[in-house]
This record gives sequence, structure tokens and C-alpha cells, in this order.
Amino acid sequence: MGRTLQFEIFRYNPMDPNSKPRMQTYYLEEKENMTLFLALNEIRETLDPSLQFDFVCRAAVCGSCAMVINGRPGLACKTKTKDLPDKITLHPLPVFKLIGDLSVDTGIWFRGVAKKIEAWVHTNKTFDPNALEERMDNELANQIFELDRCIECGCCIAACGTARMREDFLGAATINRIARFYIDPRDERSDQEYYEVIGTDEGVFGCMGLLGCEDVCPRNIPLLDQIGIIRRKMAIASTGGKVGRLFSVFAKKKK
Amino acid sequence: MSVDATVETYKGHRLAGWLDWLQMLTGLTLAVFIFAHMLFVGTVIFGANAFNWIASFFEKTYLAQIGGPILFFIFLLHGTLGARKMPFRTKEQKLIVRHAKMMHHRDTWFWVGQAVTGSILLVIAAIHMWTVLSDLPITAAKGAQEVQNTLWALFYVLLILCAGFHACIGLYRIGVKWGFITRATRAKALKCIYILMGIYAGGELILLLRFLSLKV
Ligand code: SF4
Ligand code: SF4
Ligand code: FES
Repeated sequence: MGRTLQFEIFRYNPMDPNSKPRMQTYYLEEKENMTLFLALNEIRETLDPSLQFDFVCRAAVCGSCAMVINGRPGLACKTKTKDLPDKITLHPLPVFKLIGDLSVDTGIWFRGVAKKIEAWVHTNKTFDPNALEERMDNELANQIFELDRCIECGCCIAACGTARMREDFLGAATINRIARFYIDPRDERSDQEYYEVIGTDEGVFGCMGLLGCEDVCPRNIPLLDQIGIIRRKMAIASTGGKVGRLFSVFAKKKK
Repeated sequence: MSVDATVETYKGHRLAGWLDWLQMLTGLTLAVFIFAHMLFVGTVIFGANAFNWIASFFEKTYLAQIGGPILFFIFLLHGTLGARKMPFRTKEQKLIVRHAKMMHHRDTWFWVGQAVTGSILLVIAAIHMWTVLSDLPITAAKGAQEVQNTLWALFYVLLILCAGFHACIGLYRIGVKWGFITRATRAKALKCIYILMGIYAGGELILLLRFLSLKV
């Protein structure tokens, strides 16, 4: 212990016409079990009350504290200073709208893509409030839950080369979200309908498999495994079922 | 955002899927080809006669005359399809390099490498195909004469390195993108890819040396 940490923090307030983007240096004594969440709060309390950053849960649940930590997107509340070198550089996540300093608005972005992919269960059944809830196979429920673990922190989007080059790219979290509805039997959308929303170059075919998303996801969601499955399904859908039939012949032969 | 889609828009949309298929299949074909190509050229290890025999076999069966242009077409198609994903504008190029530097992340750099080697290959592989196919028959003597010129030798070293990197990382990328290589198998797959790259680059460089030592 007893390290003095050097923080290089990005400062810029887009609301203030006099503010220019710059890096500001702070020094802080490292404490035991210090996370970036604790460090940033100490900086704000003792050194600079004007520093902007977001936190809610401080337990890797809400997804609001994502930032670029020494070059890699990650959650500040989940990152321990002891795992970092003496010099710590912090930037706000790229891609998202900057609110100020380290604070960005991931909300508008995620809302936008959720609308694009229509991230809700599509069903023709009318809801009967008196009926018993439909049962779901436990294994399937677990699979859906696995994909629902995403906290929309935005790390995977900021880590994605495609998302940074192409503004309209939907991103890994969004494709993962589609996968969640895809396996949900209550969603009655057909492959063709899914193809409509995700089978484009802005969707799954835009992904170049750079793995940035998967390598930074703080929830450890196997994003590329999901993207791979969706890519295969959508590629098959693009042939209007021809290749699908071919595959099913193979599949039967295998058995 | 959500408009009722018509059948027409759906048909138009299908294109993205088809193009993705094509990009993968053309890439796969080219990757398989360059390895087969290495084996054929590899006959030079056994001397000029073996090489000439195999070359004349390809010409007598018209595989070179017909297969060559087809391959050239596949090559151009693959280049065009790849270009759709490439950072074309300076702004995008700067962004992706800045991004790769920021992330210091292996797979992102691989992709930058893919874009760079791809662009180089589009030019130099085209030159190679042109010089070979426009001057049939292919003989060991011609090849030797060519590479014994230093500039051409360097040209071939560049070609070998670019082709080996691009093809092997391309295969890995196909596996990742299509979900054949999963989180569980990624490390192992990558090891295989490195070995493959080594075999290709090593093998081709040995062949180049063999050509250099061939008496003409
Ligand atoms: S997929 Fe992972 S990195 Fe992406 S938003 Fe969700 S939790 Fe964050
Ligand atoms: S794998 Fe796809 S979604 Fe993930 S970072 Fe790469 S391009 Fe983006
Ligand atoms: S504060 Fe909620 S995820 Fe970090």
C-alpha cells in the first residue's frame, strides 16, 4: 500500500462555451480495497467538486459508471485500483453523447436501438389477467435470463470498432437483446420478421468479429457466441429457406 | 421508426445476407486456393522437371486458362465485398487506428492488419496473377529468372507475408463471426491459426529460396 496514484482525467463541459477539452491531473493516496468509484468520489470531495461522473449502484448492477480506463471500457465501480498501474487515465465512453467530463448519456442511445429492433414481446394473444401464468421450461428460462443479464452499460459499444466507424451500427448488446426475444417462445415473430430488423449491414452483418465487445463486457456475456448464432440464422433466412432445408437434411443425416 | 414493411423492402433487405455469404465463401475459396497453390509450387523442391510437369498438366487440362480467370474474378469479387466493410474515408481510418491504439486489443489490431494486407493484396496479387497468366506456359526457369531479380524477390516476400496473414486471420475471423469458434474454443483455435500461418509463410519462403537457387 501507500502508493500515490496519478489520475489523468478528461475534462470538458459541453454546456459551457468557455470550456475546452483537456486532461487534468490529480494525485491521491491509494487506500486498501479502493475502487475507482471510491477514488473518484474522494477526488470530488477533497480536490475538485466540479468533476462530473455517474454512479448509482456501485455494485456492477446499474451500468451507469462505465468509462474508458487506461484505454479499455469498463465499470469504475468494479475496477480495483490495485489492479491498475500508478498512472490511471480516464476518458468518457466514446460513441455516446457527452454530458460532461466522464459522464455520458447511454440512455438515449439504448432507447433508440431498442425501438429499432422493437425490443418487446410481439404476440397476438390478448392478455387475460385472471388466467394462470404460462409455464416455461426451466432450462429455457435460464437461457433467456442469461441473455437478460446485460446492464446496458455501453462498454461493448464503446469497444466496438464498427460502432465507432459506423454511427448506425446496432452493436453487440442490441444483437444480444434480439437473441433474447428470438429464443423466447412468447415472441411470435418469424425468422423473416427478425431478418427485417437485424439482417442488415447495420445489424448482424455489420459485425466484423473484432471481439472488442466480448473482451470488455463486465457481465461476461458471451456476446460473439450469440452474434454467431444470430448471424447463421439470419444468413439462412436471407436465402429464403433454401439453405435451411439443406442444413436440415445434413442435420438429419448426422443423427 | 417501425413502419409496416412490405414484401418489396424485405426482398431488398435480403441482399445484405447474400453478400455476407458471398464474402465468406469467396474468402474461403481463396484461402483454400493459396494453400493448394503452395503445394503445386512446392513440387519445385524436387527440381525444375517436377514443377514443369505439374505446370504443363494444368495447362493441358486447361485448368490454368479457365481456372485462372475464374479465380481472378473471385478475387476481385472478394476485394469488392471486403471494401464494403473497410474504413474508406480518412475520418474512419483515423478513428479505427485511434480506437485500436486506445484499446490495445489484439483482435482489433488483427482487423486493422486485415484491412491493410487486403488493400495491398488487391494490387500485388493482381500483378502476380497477371504476370503469370499472361505469359503461359508456366515454367520453373521463368519463375527462377523472375525471383533472381532482387525487386521481384522482395515483391514475393511481401506477397507471401500479406497472403499468409490475410488468409489465416480471415479463416479465424470467419470462425468467430459465424460462431464456429466460441468463447470456449477461441484460445485453441488461435493457436491452430498461428501454426497455419507459420506453415504457410515458412513453406512459401523456403520455396522462394529454392527458386533463388535454381540454375537457369
Ligand atoms: S452486453 Fe455487456 S458490455 Fe454490453 S451493454 Fe450489456 S453488460 Fe454492458
Ligand atoms: S465483434 Fe462485432 S459487435 Fe463486437 S466489437 Fe466486434 S464488430 Fe463490434
Ligand atoms: S455504479 Fe452501477 S454499475 Fe457501477
